[in-house]
Amino acid sequence: MRLRVTITTLVAVALLLGTLFGSDDDFPVGPFRMYATTDALDAPVRDTRVAALDDTGAALDLTETDTGLRRAEVEGQLDRPDLPRLLAVAYERRNPDATPLRRVTIVVTWHELRDGRPTGRTTEETVAAWER
Amino acid sequence: MGTVTATPVPTQVPGWLCAPVPLGRVALFRVLAYLFVAADLVVFTPWVRGHATVPVELYRPVLVARILHLPAPTPALVHGVFWALLAVALVAASGRWPRVLGGAVFLLYAEWMVVAMSYGKVDHDRFGLLVALAALPTVGRARFGSAEPSAAGGWALRVTQLAVVATYFLAGWAKLRFGGIEWLTGATMTRAVLRRGTWLGQLVLGVPGLLVLSQFGIMAFELASPVVLFVRERARYLLVGGFYLFHAVVFATVTITFLPHQVAMASFLPLERAVSRLLGCPTDSRR
Repeated sequence: MRLRVTITTLVAVALLLGTLFGSDDDFPVGPFRMYATTDALDAPVRDTRVAALDDTGAALDLTETDTGLRRAEVEGQLDRPDLPRLLAVAYERRNPDATPLRRVTIVVTWHELRDGRPTGRTTEETVAAWER
Repeated sequence: MGTVTATPVPTQVPGWLCAPVPLGRVALFRVLAYLFVAADLVVFTPWVRGHATVPVELYRPVLVARILHLPAPTPALVHGVFWALLAVALVAASGRWPRVLGGAVFLLYAEWMVVAMSYGKVDHDRFGLLVALAALPTVGRARFGSAEPSAAGGWALRVTQLAVVATYFLAGWAKLRFGGIEWLTGATMTRAVLRRGTWLGQLVLGVPGLLVLSQFGIMAFELASPVVLFVRERARYLLVGGFYLFHAVVFATVTITFLPHQVAMASFLPLERAVSRLLGCPTDSRR
């Protein structure tokens, strides 16, 4: 009984410290920061996709099923300059019979907002690119 | 029930923490948790397996993986953990060797989570489930239909409840830490709808101010959620019903399920009574 109380207390303290000072790295006791950042009502909202061109010249969007990496994971690793190349490697490993990729780009679509509502206007920005 | 009003304060906390529950309830919660683990692997979070073929350069191990020197995921490791966990979880759901198999489920699922969360995005929907998986093996044998009260079972369910409530409360806290008080009037929910909204979400998006209003509601709900631990039984079930309704609305608008958390939340429910009613076995004189 005493051991149970001690364990409960220790986990609670770790979780509290994680919330106060920690980051995602401290999983599972890091801060529960899902949707915790503030987006301004008039600042554009980001949406990321991975666009590719294969050897036949066909354009395709690489999804989670194609690469094994989720969209949020792509966004979490945007600081890696070689990310498009690694996504191409991941795609070819998962789809060994598919036509090889010639080009992979990471495109961010910015949705314009006014008073928290989309105006329907978007701009696209290529944040990283790889070409074979 | 069973607590003496004259008990001195220091022993009240352990008493509350380990308030006995019928072993039959633990048996049912255990089945739910272990069957969910199996379903989670195959149906709900199949993307974890996708990490098997991701180049190792994209592996960014979380702190616990670095401390324990866990190996970087390879196809063999990911598929090995997948099949082992699937098999062990299904056998554990039968209630056999609850300590050994329950312990194995916890360790394998923890490793599975390291594989899941070490590629640039950490999810926050399963702290309650992890706590449940860690605590359940400590209960030992629990037979279906057993009315025998168990303090060990009470503790396992209580810490799961605490983890569920902590997830809400600390998520509110994290919003204040990272988003600031401006989170309330910001466009976070708008972003969620734009990224993953349903037709219902789009509909809500069209109503001026409604998503901002919903942010006030979410914050109030998260910060007030600990109340559920301290109210009487009937109010508690109503509140937990409200929590489930909240997740239903979130799913209908932005397709976020928080399913592992919802499974952990079943630790609040008198599962044995629900099942006996479903099976038509009368448990008391009421109809």
